Amino acid sequence: MKQSEQSPREHATVPAVPHSAFSTRHSPLCTPGEHRLSRRKLLGGAALAGAAAAGGSLGLGSLLAAAETGAIKKKHKQVLFVWIDGGMSQFESWDPKPNTQFGGPFRAIPTSVPGIQISELMPHSAKQMHHLSLVRGMCTKDNAHSSGVGRIQRGDPKNRGVVYPFFGSAVANFLGQGPSGLPPYVWIKPGSGGFIYQDAGFLGPKYGALAFGDGKPPENLLRSERVAPADDDLRNMLRRKANERFAAAHPAEPVEAMDFVYDTARELMKRGDLFDEANFSARDKERYGDTEFGRHMLLGRKMLEAGVTFVKVNSYGWDTHGDNFNGHANLLPKFDRAFASIVEDLAERGMLDDVLVICLSEFGRTPRINGHVGRDHFPEAWSLVTTGTGIRRGVTVGKTNELGTYVSGDEYDIGHLFHTWFAALGIDSKAVEYDNHGQPLPLAHDDCFPIKELLA
Amino acid sequence: MPSALRPWSNNYRARWCSAAVVGACLSIFVSNLSAAEVESLAKRIDRQIEAKYSGPRAPQADDAELVRRTYLDLIGRVPTVEEARAYLSDKSADKRVKLVDRLLTAPEHSRRMTEAFHATLMERRGEHEEWTAFLREAFAKNMAWDELVRHVIDPRDDDPALRGAAFFAVNRLSKVGQQETDYPGLTRDVGRLFLGKDLACAQCHNHLFIDDYKQVDFQGLYTVFLNTAIRTDVKYPALGENLMTKPIEFMSVFDKKPLATGPRVPGLREIAIPTFAKGEEYVSPPDRKTKAMGVPKFSPLEKLAEEITSPKNRAFRENIANRLWWLVMGRGLVDPLDQTHVANPPSHPELLKLLADEMLARKYDLRAVLRELVLTEVYARGSAWNATRGGRPEPATYGTAVAKPLSAEQMYHSYLAASGPHGPKAHNAGALRERFTKAFANPPKEPEIEFAPSVKAALFLSNDDEVLRLTVRDSGNLVDRLVKLAEAKDGGADAAAEELYLAVLSRKPTADERREVGELVTKYANERAKLFGQLTWALLSSTEFCLNH
Repeated sequence: MKQSEQSPREHATVPAVPHSAFSTRHSPLCTPGEHRLSRRKLLGGAALAGAAAAGGSLGLGSLLAAAETGAIKKKHKQVLFVWIDGGMSQFESWDPKPNTQFGGPFRAIPTSVPGIQISELMPHSAKQMHHLSLVRGMCTKDNAHSSGVGRIQRGDPKNRGVVYPFFGSAVANFLGQGPSGLPPYVWIKPGSGGFIYQDAGFLGPKYGALAFGDGKPPENLLRSERVAPADDDLRNMLRRKANERFAAAHPAEPVEAMDFVYDTARELMKRGDLFDEANFSARDKERYGDTEFGRHMLLGRKMLEAGVTFVKVNSYGWDTHGDNFNGHANLLPKFDRAFASIVEDLAERGMLDDVLVICLSEFGRTPRINGHVGRDHFPEAWSLVTTGTGIRRGVTVGKTNELGTYVSGDEYDIGHLFHTWFAALGIDSKAVEYDNHGQPLPLAHDDCFPIKELLA
Repeated sequence: MPSALRPWSNNYRARWCSAAVVGACLSIFVSNLSAAEVESLAKRIDRQIEAKYSGPRAPQADDAELVRRTYLDLIGRVPTVEEARAYLSDKSADKRVKLVDRLLTAPEHSRRMTEAFHATLMERRGEHEEWTAFLREAFAKNMAWDELVRHVIDPRDDDPALRGAAFFAVNRLSKVGQQETDYPGLTRDVGRLFLGKDLACAQCHNHLFIDDYKQVDFQGLYTVFLNTAIRTDVKYPALGENLMTKPIEFMSVFDKKPLATGPRVPGLREIAIPTFAKGEEYVSPPDRKTKAMGVPKFSPLEKLAEEITSPKNRAFRENIANRLWWLVMGRGLVDPLDQTHVANPPSHPELLKLLADEMLARKYDLRAVLRELVLTEVYARGSAWNATRGGRPEPATYGTAVAKPLSAEQMYHSYLAASGPHGPKAHNAGALRERFTKAFANPPKEPEIEFAPSVKAALFLSNDDEVLRLTVRDSGNLVDRLVKLAEAKDGGADAAAEELYLAVLSRKPTADERREVGELVTKYANERAKLFGQLTWALLSSTEFCLNH
């Protein structure tokens, strides 16, 4: 085939193009989607697609939906994504190897599932094990934080010269904002917040994360004291009427897009109460732990209850190259309380049937204990935990050898998990493709597949 | 434009003779005038547009729509209420030409061009006071585009007013976090922004489905920038060059045949790399002590700047013609702007050629070409479309005006102009401008082409305290005037409605809108300051205000 005869649609599947060449030498600049169409063009369209998916009828969507919440909410899938940044040690958490060469000082304890043991540092999670599933056969490819975080959260697909979306942006794209009218992808994290458009990759900024830095609402979220609620209603009613008049003789799309962002902004503003810690019950605060992560997980639960489609909660500081054991002895109990509490709460409220729960790091930690009594980066054999909608509960999938130095049996890359999670959300990742300006792109790595044992 | 000024109006010409006949007639009857004087560039542009599309069109914009459009395009803000009134009540036949000429020489025009070209060239990567100073200086004196681009590609530091041009390259070559020095990105942007060609995919192989984008095109530019480095011996942004002694070697990732090229502008001949005797290569050699880079006798940047902007390079003048057209017409003749290639022909090839040739003939005088563009009929076409006439004409026909999103800067200046005048204490100008930019600008590296409203911007206009203060009653500002006007017993509400719509939307209110204001004024008789604050805010947050239509 002569190269000139290829259309962009064929680009991704052209057999004449050796993929190895692409993945090793391909320019990071080369994004085939840019050949024909401007990027903003997609954005404009995407904003409307999102709006349409979100509300059914533009503008009025969120109002109508509010009345039907009960019926729709059952069907709207959500995701809780807990990111343990820096690399949690599987030895000290989900895959303990007590009394072995690299096992470290901690014991293993029984859990609510006979036959599954986890580290003694996680007594609360142990009680919730029947709600959880462990993947102990994780084997991934990147041992650097800087690239690993993105690689794992983007699902490490084959390199096609485009930047893939983080899982949160991907889910926001497929599931939309749901009946809540709230932004579909929020990220609760220590440090600064804002609109993190980078997560969205080729999907475009609209699908980026709205980050609540330090668990606080984003800038300008809270209604100004200058504007009483009635005044806010009045001014927005007047704005909407002005838009209606303008749309009579002008293209509808810009007006619809404007109304959509204002509707979303107003839905968010109405939920300023979510951020008010005064609304957290004393019992919840005690159960989740009076820690930053505990507060953030509690806020995460509130966001899920409010109907946010994808909630990411971050915990930082797990890179224990030195003093790994004291480090984990300090970090894990804080994690354990908050994580076990949110799982318990979601299960109790029946939300696990609709909420997919994922908890992982960019990699695990080495069996070898280094000279600083630390463990280093180890993508070769580590564990993650998942549960919720579409996932079998109370099982372990994959295993490591006795010393924890490699995966024995089936190895699972992050691509397998992406296929599994998409399947759990009802998205057939082998049939559905992204359409990046005419370039078809698979949702997850072509060579991976959903893990059947993990699917309910 | 009043028809008295257009003896050869559309209708007349369409009915009675072809464009060619008009041209012939003109040259017979007024043969003592030069062709250019006989038919302005503006008229020739309109002929090209008409030749391509004869379907239904929107009527010409009314004075109100046109004055708003012209202010926004030429000085980057909406007219104040006085300016709008003055234009609407002006009965003179040549008022449009007078307006255009006045705006083009106003200081706000160079600010507008600075802001527009800053957004285009830097794509929100960052700002630098020296870069802004360079653009301001260039547009204040209406620097020719080819000269401006030579400064950007080959920045020198001998003139402090112009040395900020280096920021274009220095910003792109700066290391940010773990991001590598982005030589390919700089190469790509030079192609995109000055040649209208996005060569990114031709870095590692000939472009897979654009026949005329070759790997050698990318590499010929790349080698020039790869040879540069950010100077560390001075505090201001400055670019230095290393010694170039041989062509760059490269190969396609597909066939791995070794290839090489010297500096080269796509489509032009390779620039020869001269050889010098050892020790003779430099004007001034590198100095390790001061960390000063050497100044080689052969400067590939200088050669490249010359070649890119030379008359031999048609892509250069087509690119700026297309970008200037896009700036005021809302759509590129080549669309997207950086996809000039055989498979993506311009919507109006002859028009693009005409504009490009005029660019060259007028020595890249942007202001002169801009003047012609905004005096065309196609520029003054109405944006409203009556649906009873069938579907709205496609944008590429220019059967209606294409609406353009207001840039962050246009939003800022317009918000102030519409809600003001504001006293010096009403807001902190620098900080407020920065917050408008933060709220409305695209993410870095995203060209600002399409209308892309965001939740962030909606929250900003809804809740930012300083923004809200602009619609709180304060001596002399719009809300204050509205409250006072509404106090009049007879027709007070109507006068307020007119003031409000003229100030914010540069037009008079419709009967419907007058009635709405009237009812509200009665309903909120005891809270008029609050009412007019909300009403002003509503119009400032409306789609009509956020678009230049």
